[in-house]
Amino acid sequence: MKFLMIFLQVLVLFGFSMVGNWLQNLLHLPLPGSIIGLILVWLCLMLKVFPLRWIESGALFFLSYLPLFYIPAAIGIMNYGQVFIGKGVLLVIIAIFSTFLTMWLSAWTSQWIARQSEKKKGPTPCK
Amino acid sequence: MQMMLLATLYAVLTVGVYVVMNWVYVKYRRDFLFPILTSSAIIIITLVLFNIPYETYMTGGKWIDILLGPAIVSLAIPLYKQRDLLKQYLFPIIGGVIVGVFVGMISGVFFAKIFGFPKDIVMSILPKSITTPIAIQITQSLGGYASLSAAFVMIAGFSGILFGRIFLKWIRIDSPTGIGIGFGAAAHALGTSKAIEIGEQEGSMSSVAMTLCAVVGSIIGPIIAWIFYLG
Repeated sequence: MKFLMIFLQVLVLFGFSMVGNWLQNLLHLPLPGSIIGLILVWLCLMLKVFPLRWIESGALFFLSYLPLFYIPAAIGIMNYGQVFIGKGVLLVIIAIFSTFLTMWLSAWTSQWIARQSEKKKGPTPCK
Repeated sequence: MQMMLLATLYAVLTVGVYVVMNWVYVKYRRDFLFPILTSSAIIIITLVLFNIPYETYMTGGKWIDILLGPAIVSLAIPLYKQRDLLKQYLFPIIGGVIVGVFVGMISGVFFAKIFGFPKDIVMSILPKSITTPIAIQITQSLGGYASLSAAFVMIAGFSGILFGRIFLKWIRIDSPTGIGIGFGAAAHALGTSKAIEIGEQEGSMSSVAMTLCAVVGSIIGPIIAWIFYLG
């Protein structure tokens, strides 16, 4: 029974992914169909079109095995090993450098905005 | 018939290796044992040993690959569950996410292009701060290589896991919001697993940032690609 329920919910999520792909083709959207599906599900939940429990178990199934689903794509690296030889080492350095730059600026921005709004509200009325 | 049997074997091999390596990771909890890394390595070694080309492996691999779409859709659920956090810290989160997506994509693309790498490789490095399943989709729509992107995403993730904490301390990021957003925006799911170890709020922030970066990134990615390759 529980298995059947998870299976049905998996089908629903599959359906959203397909609707996303269909909308992408129909409207020539630049973003991937699965992201459109994600946004649709999120909107449905926020607007209370259906309750979370309708899809929660199915989503949990996907999320708990998430890395498995991109292993086939990741393995394709076996065809591109030569990219990282010689000059390609630079790509690794660029990726690492860019990662820390991203971490620095995103963390700094959100911390700064958070502190600004705290100041505005005034944490403790001292006068 | 034999083709069918072999395809099934590749799919079963993938699931089997993943389940075992996931168990190993849960038992020993070492960063270098991350299941995606160890599973991919074991399967690649197996394929090379038996002289099986990637295209042949994918006759079975594509059955698993097809589940990537609904798996991405499922990311809507944690995002929905953290709606209160999102509401409470709306501006710090949105600000950090937008800056993170722009900086992550532009800096990678800029340097790769400056050093003269061809467009397909530049497009593969573009989404490296985005979580792997979605980075793969972004890069494919821009003419990059999915697997190469996955490799860059791993490099970003492991840089974050190994040095993120020291780095953030060094640049004086000390609030749970800053730490969480930094990890989520720069090092996606791997960073989030580290942020969860630091604290609950850091973990939630990182998870929200990761998902939002993926959504925002899939919209901004094509625009950045377009700007860099106008002519």
